[in-house]
Amino acid sequence: MPRARRLGRPALLAAMAALVAGPALAAAANGRVAPYLADLFPSTYTPPAAPETLIVHAIVLDGAGHRLDDGQVLMGSGKIIAIGHDLKAPGARLIDARGRWVTPGIIDIHSHDGTYHLPQTAIDAEASDVAELSDPNTAGVWIESGIDAEDLAFAHALASGVTTLQVLPGSTPVFGGRTVVLHPVPALTVQAMKMPGAPQGEKMACGENPKTYDVEKGRGPTSAAGEVTFIRDAFAKARTYKAKWDRYLAGETADAPEDDPRLDTLAAMLEGKIAAHIHCYRASEMAIWLDLARDIGFRIAAFHHAVEGYKIAPLLVSRGVCAVVWSDWWGFKVEAVDGIRENAAFIDAAGGCVMMHSDGPFLGQWLNVEAGKAAAAGRRAGLALPPEHVIAWLTSNPAKAMGLADRIGALAPGLDADLVVWSGDPFSVYTHADLVFIDGAVRFDRSQPPPAPDFQLGRAPTP
Amino acid sequence: MKWLLALCLAAACGAASAATAIIHAHAFTMAGAGEVQDATVIIDDGRVVSVTAHGPAPAGARVIDAGGRVVTPGLISAATQLGLAEVSLAADTDDRAVSSGPLGAAFDVDYAFNANSVLLPVARADGLTRALIYPGMGAGPFSGQAAMIRLIPPGGTVERSRAAEFAVTGQAIASKVGGSRAAAWGLIRNALGEARRLGEGKLDPRARLNSLPDLEALQPVIAGTIPLVIQADRASDLRQAIDLARDEKVRVVILGGAEAWSLATELAAAKIPVILDPQADMPQTYDQIGARYDNAALLAKAGVPIAFQVSGNGVYLSYNVGEAIRWGAGMAVANGLPYQEALAAITSAPAAIFGFPTGAGTLAPGADADVVIWDGDPLEPASAPTAVFVGGEPAPLITRQTLLRDRYAPRR
Repeated sequence: MPRARRLGRPALLAAMAALVAGPALAAAANGRVAPYLADLFPSTYTPPAAPETLIVHAIVLDGAGHRLDDGQVLMGSGKIIAIGHDLKAPGARLIDARGRWVTPGIIDIHSHDGTYHLPQTAIDAEASDVAELSDPNTAGVWIESGIDAEDLAFAHALASGVTTLQVLPGSTPVFGGRTVVLHPVPALTVQAMKMPGAPQGEKMACGENPKTYDVEKGRGPTSAAGEVTFIRDAFAKARTYKAKWDRYLAGETADAPEDDPRLDTLAAMLEGKIAAHIHCYRASEMAIWLDLARDIGFRIAAFHHAVEGYKIAPLLVSRGVCAVVWSDWWGFKVEAVDGIRENAAFIDAAGGCVMMHSDGPFLGQWLNVEAGKAAAAGRRAGLALPPEHVIAWLTSNPAKAMGLADRIGALAPGLDADLVVWSGDPFSVYTHADLVFIDGAVRFDRSQPPPAPDFQLGRAPTP
Repeated sequence: MKWLLALCLAAACGAASAATAIIHAHAFTMAGAGEVQDATVIIDDGRVVSVTAHGPAPAGARVIDAGGRVVTPGLISAATQLGLAEVSLAADTDDRAVSSGPLGAAFDVDYAFNANSVLLPVARADGLTRALIYPGMGAGPFSGQAAMIRLIPPGGTVERSRAAEFAVTGQAIASKVGGSRAAAWGLIRNALGEARRLGEGKLDPRARLNSLPDLEALQPVIAGTIPLVIQADRASDLRQAIDLARDEKVRVVILGGAEAWSLATELAAAKIPVILDPQADMPQTYDQIGARYDNAALLAKAGVPIAFQVSGNGVYLSYNVGEAIRWGAGMAVANGLPYQEALAAITSAPAAIFGFPTGAGTLAPGADADVVIWDGDPLEPASAPTAVFVGGEPAPLITRQTLLRDRYAPRR
């Protein structure tokens, strides 16, 4: 890792703001930069150089609704160059995928990898890194600052076809903190996994989790309605905070306001730079939070878990909010008793943006089977749901929800060459990810298993 | 009921007493007949009569054309908590375990089984017709007594209570027994010793650690009439379990067994079955450092009897049990286990391990006619039954979930 040059604070902020926010968010004319737009831990991810590669004779699902039989995918310089038939690529490395399927890499929009440490120990029971629990509002947390890059789950995700994942803080606080988008590549630092320029989200939680925890701790909201009031209070402060900063940035005041990490995140939400990812199960609560967000002026990217999403699918569609669901988890908590297996299919049928998620390292290895199960339930209920459509639940839909649809989630010219060569039908329990490409480079090859992670060295017995 | 069948063959039977013939089935009998293509499965009086290739349907029989679909015995879960928790995170609906109070080995889940649980029809609609329901971890190493249930509509019924005793070892129990897993083994051995002395009339009542109800509950374990199911993952604990079985002459079954593959030869020699989770490929705890996908394949190859439990973060211990164990079986196949051995691990093998009624988990002649017709490969979790017979009668596939589905289905 190159050492960062020491920069003075304004210059440093300016550099970071440029990195995180792109040209549209350059510093104010006077050189001042809003702290709420800074990137504190810039990405150092660089894909390895990879030769131009042509995959032939594959069943291709492009993630955008199309299926090509005996199809070809050409990639080079880390991007998809073309998909189709009879592509010409002299000198390209050729991969014969006869009998195999090719899809965009899986995007897991809801992961706790790197913070839900494997193996779990008493240390995690005492002080888990999944969520900061010191306050019901930990909006100032950046979950990336607590991620173990060497967590075993990352390699398992990669070997299962996951090319991008969003790690979110856990759902105990109302405001959990900022999310981060990673490629699950072998690395010693989180920065080296961090997808450059990917937007952060803010994890929020409704319902049982925050209210019951705060009852236990004797602070914060203790009811569903209290959670809503708590959010209004928090944003009222953030609005004042942001106004102070905006006056300073505009040169109307001389002294910079005091920086507050929590309010920074909420200000960035009010600025429209960070969208909310909300843990929420019940239809009635989702409907309230939709109005709440509209009233306050922040954007909801998706409701996560959303086991009653099917009950209000048209509402989700009309508000442009995605639903992040399991195939079949239900019943284990009161707010989940109305879960049905057709949830994804019914939201999809309403025109909604629906996707699968892992929420844990084990399920993060079988998202393809999750989608297969959810689609099969939908087909039994009479919906068509061909594979070329269902693959969007793992690829283009999460890309859209994460604000990355212009970069990943589909096999289209110019998009990142993140894709999987599957040994067969990607939705089958028997299928393995044979090859996993990220930015055009092979990052997993089933015929050449990677070396054991550091943790396993000298530990695991062999048969 | 052979006379009835003969009568039916001679003259048309009334609908009430008709036999059922499932024709054109791709049958997996899990018994002597093995896999039978284009099979005719004949059911009468609640029992399987025969499974034969191209066999004729008896005259008057209710004929069901499977159209080449797979037909299997009803599935059996070797270890589930169906009917013991309705909303597992709402403690007032959760009767899986006792975390305090006087009962250890004597805790009996039979008394808590809820035949009206909405989880039962869901499991049956996924092909499950029998299960062993077991207690969760208690205040000491003994969790309590498990029961066999049969998913007879509308919900289910306890078929045999006190069918197995469960115990927990390893890191999971260490904090409950003073801080070391060693204490759990000491307590288990001591309890078995006290139980034996009680049975022999030699127990000194002033020098016992265990209550009389707990020691009485252990009598069938001592007698070898029910197994002691020991939850253990780490190789060291598995060795302890093997030693315990030898020293105490009790029938031991392992639940978990993440590192069991590393002791496959020893477990096979000791005839100790393993109920494992084929999805457990990563170490959730330090006891599972050696967890790997091919655990099932390696154990089966060595001759260890195996059955499956799929935890799914604990969700699948109660919810979607029928689907989850098929998923696990499919994953075991994807990682090297022969197909029929995987199917056996969720049908005939758990029946054999726990001594379910003769023929359970098979389509052998005389077996209870718990039969499932599948819309695809049953080991694909995306597949589902098109029909489930329990005791020869078709069970409704309506669940609380299908009622919600029908209420909210998009209009087409």
